[in-house]
Amino acid sequence: MLVYSLKRLLLACLVVLTVSGITFILTNAAIDPAKALAGDSASAADIDAIRKAYGFDRPLPVQYFDWLGSALIGEFGESVRMRRPVATLLLERLPVTMSLGACALAFALLLSIPLGVVAALKPNSAVDRVALSLSVLGQALPTFWFALMMIILFGVILRWLPISGSDTWLHFVMPAIALGYYATPAFMRLTRAGMIEVLASDYIRTARAKGLRPPTVLFKHALRNAVIPVVSLAAVQFGFMLGGSVVIETIFALHGVGFLAWESISRSDIPVVQAIVLLISLFYIVLTLLADLLNAYLDPRIRVA
Amino acid sequence: MMKQWATAVSAAALALACGVPEAAAQKSKDTLRVAWQYTIENVDNYFNTNREGILFSRMVFDNLIDRDPKTFKAVPNLATAWKWADDRTLEMELRQGVKFHNGEEFDADDVVFTLNWISDPANKVLNQSNVNWIEKAEKVDKFKVRIISKKPFPAALEFLTIPLVIYPNEYYAKAGPKEMGLKPVGTGPYKVTKIEPAKEYTLERFDGHFKGGSKPDAKIKHIVIRTIPEMSTQIAELLAGGIDWIWYVPTDQADRLERVPSLKVDRAETMRTGYIGFDAAGRTTNKAINDVRVRQAIAHAIDRDAIIKNLIGGASRKIHAPCFPTQFGCDDSVATRYDYDPAKAKKLLAEAGFANGFDLDFYAYRPRDWAEAIMGYLTAVGIRPKLQHMTYIAVRDKNHEGVTPMYFMDWGSYSINDVSAIMPNFFGGSPDDFARDPELQAWLQAGGATVDEKVRKENYAKAVKRITERAYWLPMFSFVTNYAYTKDLDFTPFPDEIPRYYQYGWK
Amino acid sequence: MAAPATFDAGRLAPERALALGPVALLRRRIFGHRSLMLGIVVLGLMLAMGLLAYFIAPHDPYAQSLASRRFPPIWHAWIWDDPKAGWNNVLGTDKVGRDYLSRLIYGARISLLIGFATMVISGLIGTTLGVLAGYFGGRVDMVVTFLVTTRLSMPVVLVALAVVALFGSSLEMVILVLGFLLWDRFAVVMRSVTMQARDLDYVTAARAIGCSTPYIIVREIMPNIVNSLVVVATVEMANAILLEAALSFLGLGVQPPLPSWGLMLSEAKEDMFFSPWMITLPGICLFMLVLSINLLGDGVRDVTAPEGRN
Repeated sequence: MLVYSLKRLLLACLVVLTVSGITFILTNAAIDPAKALAGDSASAADIDAIRKAYGFDRPLPVQYFDWLGSALIGEFGESVRMRRPVATLLLERLPVTMSLGACALAFALLLSIPLGVVAALKPNSAVDRVALSLSVLGQALPTFWFALMMIILFGVILRWLPISGSDTWLHFVMPAIALGYYATPAFMRLTRAGMIEVLASDYIRTARAKGLRPPTVLFKHALRNAVIPVVSLAAVQFGFMLGGSVVIETIFALHGVGFLAWESISRSDIPVVQAIVLLISLFYIVLTLLADLLNAYLDPRIRVA
Repeated sequence: MMKQWATAVSAAALALACGVPEAAAQKSKDTLRVAWQYTIENVDNYFNTNREGILFSRMVFDNLIDRDPKTFKAVPNLATAWKWADDRTLEMELRQGVKFHNGEEFDADDVVFTLNWISDPANKVLNQSNVNWIEKAEKVDKFKVRIISKKPFPAALEFLTIPLVIYPNEYYAKAGPKEMGLKPVGTGPYKVTKIEPAKEYTLERFDGHFKGGSKPDAKIKHIVIRTIPEMSTQIAELLAGGIDWIWYVPTDQADRLERVPSLKVDRAETMRTGYIGFDAAGRTTNKAINDVRVRQAIAHAIDRDAIIKNLIGGASRKIHAPCFPTQFGCDDSVATRYDYDPAKAKKLLAEAGFANGFDLDFYAYRPRDWAEAIMGYLTAVGIRPKLQHMTYIAVRDKNHEGVTPMYFMDWGSYSINDVSAIMPNFFGGSPDDFARDPELQAWLQAGGATVDEKVRKENYAKAVKRITERAYWLPMFSFVTNYAYTKDLDFTPFPDEIPRYYQYGWK
Repeated sequence: MAAPATFDAGRLAPERALALGPVALLRRRIFGHRSLMLGIVVLGLMLAMGLLAYFIAPHDPYAQSLASRRFPPIWHAWIWDDPKAGWNNVLGTDKVGRDYLSRLIYGARISLLIGFATMVISGLIGTTLGVLAGYFGGRVDMVVTFLVTTRLSMPVVLVALAVVALFGSSLEMVILVLGFLLWDRFAVVMRSVTMQARDLDYVTAARAIGCSTPYIIVREIMPNIVNSLVVVATVEMANAILLEAALSFLGLGVQPPLPSWGLMLSEAKEDMFFSPWMITLPGICLFMLVLSINLLGDGVRDVTAPEGRN
């Protein structure tokens, strides 16, 4: 287990390094950081002065490791446009995005696991078909279109839900649904497949044969085993949601990391963009690492691989 | 740092756990809820470049002089009287009994400190052109100052009117731009009670606001400003009663919102002038556009009247000179006029050797249908435009890089009613200058270097003639700003595109 | 990761299945699979629409007329007696007076092109990496696993947005960026199916008699993994089309005046309150296209691997 964990950890570190490297090179290739920092009215001499003062004249690899070193202790430099530390900006915006991701994930799981279980209990029944059709239809809807339609219906016509902002949990209902439904089909299929497999397994048959009550068998024995892969998929999906919340945050005026990223991209605010890409990659890597380790712990066969 | 990250995570949990939404109908709460599309980069007036920041500054801070929004005459505000001692020295008497939001008294020290601080290049104020004319400010006595410009600078009064606001010296020296950006302190009719940067700004009426200045005491008690980037979301909020006031509503939507019984719509012409800029100086790799005939052809190819009538609406006007008609020095009688004449356009293109058209990158940031309409006309005469639709800042940066052969942009002149706030910015040799015409630069310089109105007019007229004759720019139309708001609000728009929220009350 | 869908159609009683030859059996399965057929028919129609746009479209999709902008579709004439609606512009006109129907028809081209081209690029990258990893294992496998993990950890929407914003947006750019971002699923799936195929008896046999590695990969392995390839390809194609729409929504996708459905949605978003048809029509087109591609993928999976369905 230890060797396996170390191996995974090493891989994770390598991935972080690579992602940060790619981000750094791409952004530096596209925009001259000295020029961006100097502002619009700067002369060539000003830009040169800034280039020297901030060390942008050093070789790229040196700059990269310098940047990475600061990033490791949570310092990402200063936003060019807002003149505030990037770390502070991220700290301000992170709660909203995390809440959004958590709500979206909760919505997706609460919808898909019961559906998946019901579908698994009676494969190919009407319920199964409806559940599957729903998931197939849902996956073909463009997210932003779905979001706008919800705004019209629940925000403007029925006025059940607040439309924009992040003041209360009600503000998160529509954005969470819009962000979460896309993950639902995958969860549901996985739950369903897992349940069918587990229900057909020997120990469930044994449990049934012992005369345990069906709900006990279903929830205590079957579901617990069937949702393990769902949990690791959930970790992965959470990472995706953090990265994919740009459109949703823009529509619902949620001032989270996604919207900050979009703003910074359109204003060429490079330090912010770099920090956000790195942060989201890091989230993803940590989550998958945890999921892998959890799986390895639960299923010893993996460790050997 | 680690600790702060941990706090962020727990804050996320908190955000979910608390609260129920507030009810609508904010007239009862005496709170005006406003939505803006763009975030204020920084509420420190000198570290912000967008219009939203100007609106914010007008509520929270004060200028030395102000301008009557209808007559454009300068009126006293923090300064009560002023005169030019010589052509570089402006002497100002200051108002007594003015208090800042934090209780600090306003006097000559505040003015001297502010002007000297912002004009010091080391402090890296954005928009250097607003401040780099100031050589220094001097205190004469407690309520009298002297402002000295580097060169004779007739437009100084205009700059003191809008962009330059006065800060409390003691507070700012201590707080600096970082604190000021979070807890701004001024003399304006509203004080700031809460700032969530880029997201929400809460203002409250300042009860100690001074009397006798250009701004009355605020009528509405609270103002909440929210940044909502999506116009469709803003409209949805307005329809659902979550927001009371929005602006920059697209013309088509304004027409429809007008029919909603609970709402009112205003369409007001503004000083903002739309133009198409061309690379006449050969800064880009597009050779065709350097030919004056090609630029003239484009000018003839576009039916500005149809665009104004169908897409802009309201009180928008076709413009011939590269400035807003009311601006001093904006003489459009000498401007070359380009009528819509596609046949002539084709002829000019053929003469220039582009009978079969050419490829042209076209940069724009305003509503896409405007750009598309312009492109439609270009396509009709055989030009093959390729749209690069970006944000304002991105297009501006591309301009500065010199890679934009043709761009549709606009300029609000900081609401300064003098061509020195527009023409030198774009033809005076700056990174925005795509004419690079030394003669033109000299005229603009001459027009800006004196207070003699006759000399200024002559030089600016020459500049207008040159710019339009050689089609460095195709001036398009004056902008119309569409406002939509709840019927309860007593609102008046102003041509300088600055809503004065402190003047508005409830019906 | 996703378990196979179960659409019951196409399932045959065992005794009948045994009576048929393999080709006939497959044909039976395909034609008996209702959702697969639906997918094929809709996708076929879209494809025909895109290819024959020039002949079908009633107007030039780029011809603008500011005097006749925002005409409503024909049913507004029937229901509300709107005098602007008429047969000349059956589905109305857009903000600068271009025929909506013609733009929708030409739009099929753009969406299909983006989906297909992206799928080809990402498919080439992903399949190559996946097959190499699966076939050779060991170090190669480690490198590919590392690449896949790296790719997965980069947020697709953000990276695509950033690249397009920094280097300029155009149809080609969108295709390239998405192509280089969406290959991970190809690699993962191809890797595991290649691993399975590698150990099949006849592949081992081919290796034993000394066939060259490229020969084995192309002639023995590829036919075994082509079904999975088709399934992944449909998923990624659908994905690419939706991503393009999202990029266009933020103004960083395909640039006007190209009639992309994503762009049309984006341009109509402010009209959703008062002219809902403007956002509904391209929305339906996009939805139908993505749905048909997904149905095709699910169907192919059901039909080619019926035994592994549950």
